Amino acid sequence: MNTTFSFYRLGLLLNRFFVENKQKELTFWAIAIVVFMLMYNAASVGMFIIIAGFIFASRIYKSFGYTPGGMHYLLIPATHLEKLVSGIILSTIYFLIGVLISYMLGNTIGTHLGNLIFGTNNEVNLQLFDFSNKMQYMDSGTIYPYIDMFIGFAIVQSIFLLGSIYFKRNPIGKTFLAIIAFSVVIGLFEVFLLKLNFDITSLQHENININILDLKSMFPGAETFGQIIKFSIAPFFWVVSYFRLTEKEV
Amino acid sequence: MVNVQNVTFSYTKKAELLTNLSLKLETGRIHGLLGKNGEGKSTLLKLISGLVFPKVGTIDTMGFNPSKRLPEMLREIYFLPEELPQLTLSIENYEKVYAPFYPNFSAEQFNNYLKEFDIDNKKSMLNKLSHGQKKKVFVAFGLATNTKLLLMDEPTNGLDIPSKGQFRRMVASNIDENRCLIISTHQVHDLDSLIDNIIIMEHHEIVFNQPIEEITKKLLFRVAERNEKTDHVLYSEDTLRGLYQVCKNTTGEDSKLDIELLFNAIIVNTKEISKLF
Repeated sequence: MNTTFSFYRLGLLLNRFFVENKQKELTFWAIAIVVFMLMYNAASVGMFIIIAGFIFASRIYKSFGYTPGGMHYLLIPATHLEKLVSGIILSTIYFLIGVLISYMLGNTIGTHLGNLIFGTNNEVNLQLFDFSNKMQYMDSGTIYPYIDMFIGFAIVQSIFLLGSIYFKRNPIGKTFLAIIAFSVVIGLFEVFLLKLNFDITSLQHENININILDLKSMFPGAETFGQIIKFSIAPFFWVVSYFRLTEKEV
Repeated sequence: MVNVQNVTFSYTKKAELLTNLSLKLETGRIHGLLGKNGEGKSTLLKLISGLVFPKVGTIDTMGFNPSKRLPEMLREIYFLPEELPQLTLSIENYEKVYAPFYPNFSAEQFNNYLKEFDIDNKKSMLNKLSHGQKKKVFVAFGLATNTKLLLMDEPTNGLDIPSKGQFRRMVASNIDENRCLIISTHQVHDLDSLIDNIIIMEHHEIVFNQPIEEITKKLLFRVAERNEKTDHVLYSEDTLRGLYQVCKNTTGEDSKLDIELLFNAIIVNTKEISKLF
């Protein structure tokens, strides 16, 4: 018997999710299609995906919200790793695929329905995937914007996934508070650095002569370091979630 | 099967719930875990199954450290909690989803137990069932998993009178020499003639752990007249039907064990009774 990871048990865990949440899932995806039929703007669509995404991630381990549910979940004969991987697959891969399919379907149906009702002749325009006007992607290949989009999404999901294991009650609100608290600490650290280096507390109306566009020559290796950080954030939160799951008591 | 060694546990830093508790449980028996409210019975079951971890001491459950919650151990444990989880599933789907996790699960047994409990419609949603009905489904499923270790926390709570008898019959027919059942309860009458080992918790410790045959060998349970003089009385309760007594069994006389009387006797006279074993 495989004591670390079994794809069979992972399959059973995923099956458990879909059977238990079939009705809710179908309802959610139907609502998402309707929302995307009415929503065209890429920023609004992105915002909807992010908000719906972290709500979804926060509900992956909702069983921990009440003791009998937590007991039932922890006693399912599967490893902590399998339970975590099922959570990652559902919150990151399944949700993203589902929401993008809903977006394409909703957008296509919405456009054709609009044409039919208003007698227009609009073409289907999936603005969410249009990166032609984004400066940072002009020189790079076509795949980079998608990778960045996925990484950003995975980071948000991983933070809320950890929140759903960590906080018993109201994981969404408490994860938000934790993010705010962390941001405040980072902000204070920034103020401290400004004070230390330039004897100021804010960059507003200050004339500091640093060419931040020339980052490469100023800090050689900074870009690589940034890339490493970017790719490590989500796995970092997954590792923390794993340990939190192993030490979870109900 | 289960070996708890010098375990100390607390939910808060201030008060210890279990202190230096040790307990050995043999396979092939139905152990009745008795104690007043708040003594730590449910916590002990949680410790054995790995839902909480001991602060001090070790626990061995079927050769595993329960804190690791390995699937090899979990597939041989079924825990029926007092409060049941809220699942939006039909009985049929519950079986489909959870039965594959338990290699010895028997669908035939599950169907027979449900039938015995008068639950005919497997399409019924678990969240729409009454507490008692839901408990019957979980009891039936737990017995059908054929796990080596079954932990039941107040299993008869919420069951109607006929179902309590059915429950006793099912459990008695299901437990063999390879399985071990621990039932935590304060409804001792429900488990009369079912349990064959009695464990009593008092002041967060195990104060008594003896098989029934040993208890009836050493203790005599009798009803005496009020004016009757008897020797070797360890505990006495005045009731409308006379004096219910627990005495030293000096003559080797057979008597029917009264669990409630034994429990009260041990709470009042722990030292004297423990000395006999």
